[in-house]
Amino acid sequence: MSERQAEIRELAKAALSEGRVDYFIGWGTGYDNSQIVPVFVRDAGEVDELVWNPLAQHNLSVYLKRKMPESPDAKIGVCVKGCDSRTLVSLLQEELVDPEQIYVVGVPCDGVINRRAVEKEFSGEVVDILFDGGRVTATSRDGESKEFSREDLLFDHCRSCRYPNPLYQDDSAGDPVPEPEGEAGPIWESLEEFEALSTDQKSARLEEVFSTCIRCFACIHVCPVCYCWDQCVCRSRKPELVSQKVEAKENLMFQMIHMFHVAGRCPSCGACDRACPVEIPLYLLHRKMNQELHDMLGFEAGVDVEAKPALQTFDVEDPFGEH
Amino acid sequence: MTEKTETKQSGDTASKDGDRGIKVIGILCNWCSYAGADSAGTARLKQPVDLRIVRTPCTGRIDPIFALKAFEKGADGVLVSGCHPGDCHYAEGNYYARRRLELLDRLIPHLGIEPERFRYTWVSASESKRWQEVVTEFVGKVKQLGPRERRAL
Repeated sequence: MSERQAEIRELAKAALSEGRVDYFIGWGTGYDNSQIVPVFVRDAGEVDELVWNPLAQHNLSVYLKRKMPESPDAKIGVCVKGCDSRTLVSLLQEELVDPEQIYVVGVPCDGVINRRAVEKEFSGEVVDILFDGGRVTATSRDGESKEFSREDLLFDHCRSCRYPNPLYQDDSAGDPVPEPEGEAGPIWESLEEFEALSTDQKSARLEEVFSTCIRCFACIHVCPVCYCWDQCVCRSRKPELVSQKVEAKENLMFQMIHMFHVAGRCPSCGACDRACPVEIPLYLLHRKMNQELHDMLGFEAGVDVEAKPALQTFDVEDPFGEH
Repeated sequence: MTEKTETKQSGDTASKDGDRGIKVIGILCNWCSYAGADSAGTARLKQPVDLRIVRTPCTGRIDPIFALKAFEKGADGVLVSGCHPGDCHYAEGNYYARRRLELLDRLIPHLGIEPERFRYTWVSASESKRWQEVVTEFVGKVKQLGPRERRAL
């Protein structure tokens, strides 16, 4: 882990000092050691702010979707994990990011951990999280300390990750991790429980789940492939697809707009799930959508830079629609 | 409040044999299916009265959200129809639509809606007979299922 961190710093330093990038986006320590936040490094002397550990869950390619926050011609260095690289590929497929303007450092990833799962084990605030191989030691403000296994804290989608190594990168930080064994197809086991419900139960469950949504828009703000901003149809008054009311109806409508509008470009990176403050399992919609696209067309989003997103193209011979 | 008005309205539209009226929304392309439905009417082919038609320029214009919005607003079934693949007035609009609608069709059961309540199909301007069959069959199936229980979707 620390080897990859050193590698990231070195690559960032070289890129910044040689003037190949104007700024470099990576992960850094937040208020304390228990938090990782995105950091923007503008000077080669500041590269020590860059950190890599299993808390680095943020998908940094989100900053490229509108080339925030600097001028449109800025050259940007960015760190990506395997899943992040797929959203970056989606952006490249749509020509929303100019490959000439970015410098991508790929970070092989062993999976990121769920900080909320740690928080729930403590009554007080968690202020320190340390990593030692497969062990994670967390300490709260009261001085209470607990040890966990890293495996137990992994995010659900990291357990079933099939692309731990970035698919698009200019340089790699560290050696690639071994590719996962087993079947090549995507893994959807997390949907099994929901799938087993009857139609009526599904509808009841969706209502229950989405009634807690507060429509804070965190899920679309962190979504790298959802980029219409103020033009989004969910904020439009005419037509008014989603009203201002906050209830399950509008919330579900809003999420379905998100699901259908990122179809073919969403690789289920899980950023929306992780950003949700009320912990709505958004993967219920997005993973299913990806599963069906895979069944329909054998299509996986964000794998091939040369490919086109599935719903932005067609094949005259598409094998469905005869009913 | 809304619930009450809905019931009252559907009570008004209930047919003679007493069953509560259902609402089926048809989203049709202007050039084929709408014209087909029109000619079915001109030919005085008997059709169910529960279908309310929305005319769109092309199936390529149809966002899957349209159908879901209809369900959210209380539709009991949604029928989407356009030109046969290869016959699109705009050359290729329905090829794009085919992928989107197929995706929607596959997601409908996942969203807690019976699969029989949604259908997409192709009816050309000259197929008034086929239009009659499609509508009668689809509305019949939706009628069998009855009105949808009103939930979030």
